[in-house]
This record gives sequence, C-alpha cells and structure tokens, in this order.
Amino acid sequence: MAEASGAVALPGMEVRQLERNLYEVYIGPAHPGSGHMRIIVRVEGDVMVEVDPDIGFVHRTMEKLSEGRDWMKNIPLFERMAILDACNVTLPYVEAVEKLLDVDPPERAKYLRTLLCEINRVASHLYGFGIFGVFLGHSTLYMWAFGDREIFVELAEKLTGARLTHSYPMFGGVRRDMPDDFGKHVRKATAYMRRRLDEYAKIFLNNPNIRSRLEGVGVIPKGRAVEMGLAGPNVRASGVKYDVRLAEPYEAYDRVDFEIPVYEEGDSLARAWQRVDEMRQSLSIMEQAVDWLEKHPREGFIHEKFWKTAPPIYKQVYAGAVPYAGKYRVKMIPLYASLRVPAGRSFARVESGRGEITYYVESDGKDTPYRVRVVSGSFRNVIAFKYAMPGHRLADLPAIYGSFDYFPPEWDR
Amino acid sequence: MVTAYVIWYDFLRYLIFYPPVYQFIIIPGLIAALVVAVFIIWFERKAAARVQMRYGPYEISPRTGGATQLIADLIRYSFQEIIVPRTVDAAIYFAAPVAAVILSLMPLNAIPLTSNPAFWPIPMDYSLLVAVALTTLSPIFVIVMAWASNNKFSLIGGVRESFIVTAYELVAVLSMLSVAASMSTFNLVDIVEAQSGGLWYGLLNPPAFLAAFIATLMTTSGFPFEIPDAESEIVAGPYTEYSGLMYGLDMGAAYIKRWVFSVLMALVFLGGWAPYVPGTGFVLGYLVPSLIVSAKALVIMAVMSFLRAVYGRYRIDQALGVAWEILIPLAMAAFGVGLAEAYFHVYAHLGVMAVAG
Repeated sequence: MAEASGAVALPGMEVRQLERNLYEVYIGPAHPGSGHMRIIVRVEGDVMVEVDPDIGFVHRTMEKLSEGRDWMKNIPLFERMAILDACNVTLPYVEAVEKLLDVDPPERAKYLRTLLCEINRVASHLYGFGIFGVFLGHSTLYMWAFGDREIFVELAEKLTGARLTHSYPMFGGVRRDMPDDFGKHVRKATAYMRRRLDEYAKIFLNNPNIRSRLEGVGVIPKGRAVEMGLAGPNVRASGVKYDVRLAEPYEAYDRVDFEIPVYEEGDSLARAWQRVDEMRQSLSIMEQAVDWLEKHPREGFIHEKFWKTAPPIYKQVYAGAVPYAGKYRVKMIPLYASLRVPAGRSFARVESGRGEITYYVESDGKDTPYRVRVVSGSFRNVIAFKYAMPGHRLADLPAIYGSFDYFPPEWDR
Repeated sequence: MVTAYVIWYDFLRYLIFYPPVYQFIIIPGLIAALVVAVFIIWFERKAAARVQMRYGPYEISPRTGGATQLIADLIRYSFQEIIVPRTVDAAIYFAAPVAAVILSLMPLNAIPLTSNPAFWPIPMDYSLLVAVALTTLSPIFVIVMAWASNNKFSLIGGVRESFIVTAYELVAVLSMLSVAASMSTFNLVDIVEAQSGGLWYGLLNPPAFLAAFIATLMTTSGFPFEIPDAESEIVAGPYTEYSGLMYGLDMGAAYIKRWVFSVLMALVFLGGWAPYVPGTGFVLGYLVPSLIVSAKALVIMAVMSFLRAVYGRYRIDQALGVAWEILIPLAMAAFGVGLAEAYFHVYAHLGVMAVAG
C-alpha cells in the first residue's frame, strides 16, 4: 500500500498493522457512524479485540464558562449539553440553586416541570431510536422516529415557546404556564404515540433481520453494569432497578403513578425494548400531569418570592387582562437580573433521558456560581463501549453504539 | 451509386443497429440502463418516502412527483469536482470503475431479446452459459478499486465485497443453470420459447427464482445485504475515496449489475418476451420484445428497491451464513428440481420442442 504514488503517510487514514493480524482502525471523529467522538478499534480480522472510546472532541468548557455567568444565564448554557433533552438536563441545576436559595417551587410548577421532563424524555428516546435505526441501515425507523419526535418537539413549543432550548425551569418555578388547550394536544399525542410504538415493534424490533443483529450483541451482565456504574435505561436493561425518579423522587414524581421497566438480558435488543417501555410510561405520566394541571386552578406557577417582585403589568398579562402575544406569556427573566445566591454547597440529581444527571453547585454569595460540577448519563455510559464491544465484529459497532443511545455533546460539556 | 442516404442507412444499420453494438449501447445496454436507473431511483425514493410518511423528491416539478430531481442529481454528479487523494494509485484508481461499468454491461451482449436470428448479437447456442459467466467478471474491479484507494474503509469494504462475491456467485450460477438442466439446453432463445405457453420457469421452479433473487440482492449490495458499503460502519466501503463522476460510475456499475441480473432473470424465470411472438422487421421483431423484457426486469428491480424500506442490514457473517447455509442448499435443491423436471420430460409433455434427446 505504501509504495503507491509517492507514499504520503497519513496516520489514521490507513489501516495500521500493530502486529501480525492485528490492525488499528480509527472510527471518527468525522465518520457517518461515530458522532462527535473517535473510537479507536483494534481488529483481528473482522473481530474487535480492543475498543478505546476517545472523547473530548466537542468539549466546550461549560463548567468553567458557568463560573463567569449570572446564575440565571447558566440555564441556557447547560441546555447546550443535550438540547433534545433540555428540561431534564437543566432541572438539577435549578433544583440545586433552589436549595441554596431555600425556595420550594409551588405544586403547579412541579407538575409543569414533570410534564416537560417527560415530553423531553420521549423526544430524546425517539431521537436515539432514529439514530439507532439508521446505524443498522433501517431508514424507515429513522424517518418514523424523527417524524414522530416532531410531535413532542411541537408540544414542548406549545408549552414553552421554544422547540429545543426551552430554558423552562427557573429558580422557584417555571417560565410560563401552559396554554388552555394543552391537555387536548397532549392526549392526542399520547394516543398517537402508543399506536406508533406498536408499529415500531412490527417494523423494527420484531423484524427478524433486526432481531438477529441485536439479540445477544453487546451483552452487559447485571454485575458488570453495576461495576461500571452505568446509568439510565442501559443499567435497567441489565436488570438493575435503579431510577432517580424512584430512588429519590423529585418534582411531582412521588405523586404520579408509573412503573420502571426492567429487562434482564442486557443486550442491545433489551436496551431498545427498554426505551420503548419507558416511552409508554412517559406517555402515561404526561397524561397524569396534564390531568392534574387541568383540575387545579392556575395559581402559583412561580414562587411567591419572585412573583411578588413582578410589576403589575406581568400579573395583568398572566391574568389575560392585557393582550400580549398570547395568554400567560410573561417574560420572567428580568426578575432574576441581580440574583445573588447565599453561600453554600448543594447537590441535585434527576433522571434524564440518557441516565442520571447530577449537579454539584457551590456558591460564595456572589452573582455567579463559584463552582458547578456536572456528571451526565452519557459520561457514565461511554465506558461500556470499552467492555461491551470486544469480541464482536466490526459491523456490531454501530449496533452496540446505537443501543446505548450515547450522545457525545452530553459527555463533553 | 453511393448517396448520402445509403451511407447513413449503412451507418445506422451496421453500426448503431448492429445487434452487438445496439444491445451494448442502447437497449438494454447503457442508455436503457441509465433510463432505468433514473426511474428506479425515483421509484425507490418515492416508495420509501411513502412508507416513511414523507414526500420524497417534491420541490422540483411537483406535478411529476419530483421526477426531474434525478436529472438534476445526474448533472450534479457529472460536473462535480473529482477529488483525487494523493495516496491513491491513480492509474488503477481511474481505470477500475470504468472497467467495472464496461464489464457489467458485457452480459447484455450475450442475451437474445428476440427469437429472430437477424437480431441476435452472438450465436445463441450457449448464451445462458456465456451470460452467466460474463456476470462474474466485474466484481474483481470493485476489489481493485478498494485496493487502489489506499484507505482503511475502502480496504475493509473490498474485503467484505470479496467475501460476498464468493458467497453469492455459486448461488447465482447454480440457480440460473438449473433451467439449463431442466431443459437440457443453454440456448436462451429455446428457454424463452419453452416458456411461451405461460408456464414460466419461475413458477415451475420457485426455489431457483428465490435463490437467484437473493443472490442478486447480495451482488448489488441491496438491502438487507448492503454490507460492502454500509455507511454507518465503513463510510462508503470501496467507494469512499471516489467523488463526482467517478462515484457516479461506481454507483452506476452497481445499478447496471442489478439491471443485468434482472434482465437475465426476466428471460430465464419470467418468460422473457413470452406472451408476444416476435415478428419480422426492426420494430416488431426487436424493439417490442426488448421492451417487454425490459418491463419485466423493471418490475424485479422495483421489488428489490422496495426492500430498502423494510429491512436493515445483516452483519457480514450473518449474510455469509445465509449464503452458505441456506442459499446454496436451496440452489442445489433447485438444481435437483431442474434435473427431475428433465427426467420426467415436463417441458416435452407441455409440447415444447426445446428438449433435446
């Protein structure tokens, strides 16, 4: 190979022979199946013997950036970790700061947050599903999942005004109340999605072609999953019943009725089914949340501490007395312009679409955080590549990668 | 007296309408294959879009369902800059796709599109054998492309292609030749004539048809066997380093290969020009039967394209397992069925003279 036309050596472009029958292949960072990361694979023939996930290609120094921004302005910053899961990703930050501020959001705000979290979870799982489908060459699932995700993105838009980066949870509440006809839209979407999930099973999960690709591939036994500290749907697909919503209920999760699906197999197929079952649970939670919200009066979507400082015009807009771009659309951001958080340390965690996400927040009493530390679900899941992939063929790399629903920007922060 | 008319007439007669040239260049060769590719890609996009709940090509000429989008795509491919990496072996890098396209078209010169001997490109006595043999020439150039590209993904794609070639070729050859066993002839004209009663060989020996169909899917990396150029694993496989027109040629070679196999299958399994009895003259004796064969081949291609919307892709070892453990026994069984049919003189009982002996 090397003597071909002038012999220009480009490391990483060529297959490098390490020893007899052992070659090194770089998948990524600019590869249709790699995402924003690089996977260094050593193959013996077609079988992977060593897999090294090389991460950090989309690192944005978010933790450091957050130290120079107002408390409020960090919410849109942290959203950029996983914009398709924006509410789940920023919620623990908001909760941690609320602990420092010693405010407890009103009940209505908790339900609104729960509602958006579940909308986000469904949208995020559908996104992962679509990518998973195209990794296996199944373009129909890709199009279906992305098309159906649009419904939930639009639901989020109706609720918050933004498709992806909602910045919805704020300290002491949420940014706005839900529109009057929102319950109707939610029920329509959940009924539709339940039907669609059956069709997904028909064309993808029960397709013999796909089953043969996923069954017994990338198996992570229960003990191994615990050892590696996997998070989210991936650990539950290995038989560990662990979910932050269950272990340490936040927001309204202790008042809604839901189950945590668990699979014992721990292979790629189980992880895919896990997500389908979780979506069903999320749809049910969404309906319960919206039922509660419709039954209860529209009062207190934000803590009194902040609401009372709002100028009267805000309250008139909220009450619908002043016509302004739609009912309930109050601009709340100015209330937090000079927010100072009392010195202290706090910690909060939620279950995001890709696993448990934790924030440690430290304040020294100024208008910017002293330190914010984030550990996201993808960060804990990426290590599994190193142990789940060896022994499988190179063609199984996308099947395992996709099944973990790994999202590089969430790790890289 | 030599007039301009005579010169043009002879030019057309002996150069353009000379069957070997005509079949290679026009129908069912290069131009027909291009038209078919345009139609099939349009169909593939539209059918997949229908399944996937979207529109497919739409913006350019919505009235025709975005059909002219393909013309735009072709023009783009033709005029795009061809980027040649410094690390490739340039001569082979350029020669291989051209050779692949030409050799993919070769089998079309060994097949009859009419029973009228005036329009046969070659003597037809062993045409089935020659056509099947010629289909096995082009895959080596895909492997050559991969080697000349000097790229890791190309190399892996090339290796996969070579595995697939060894797996499908025996199946394709066996299943196509089971018809020869059944009718005791390699003459494609006789084979088609034998099916003129309406009892197509695909109905008489379905395992052979099925095996040939799946083998064709494997050769042309159609779903669910889109393995040598699996995008999410190895970018574009052997074609990774190709761009512009050269990439168009690579893709064209795959389409032509699929087209050639479809035409062969239409002749062998679907009765060729069967309901029609070719007459005399160019139009009735050549053009009409060739269009009938093309239409049947087009249906086969359309079914193959539609599978894209249903399946993902198999892993290479699974595909090889399908080929060696299921398809080869299936092709053997088909061959046995063919032999049994020959033994019991099935076609002779149906009043067909093609059977020797």
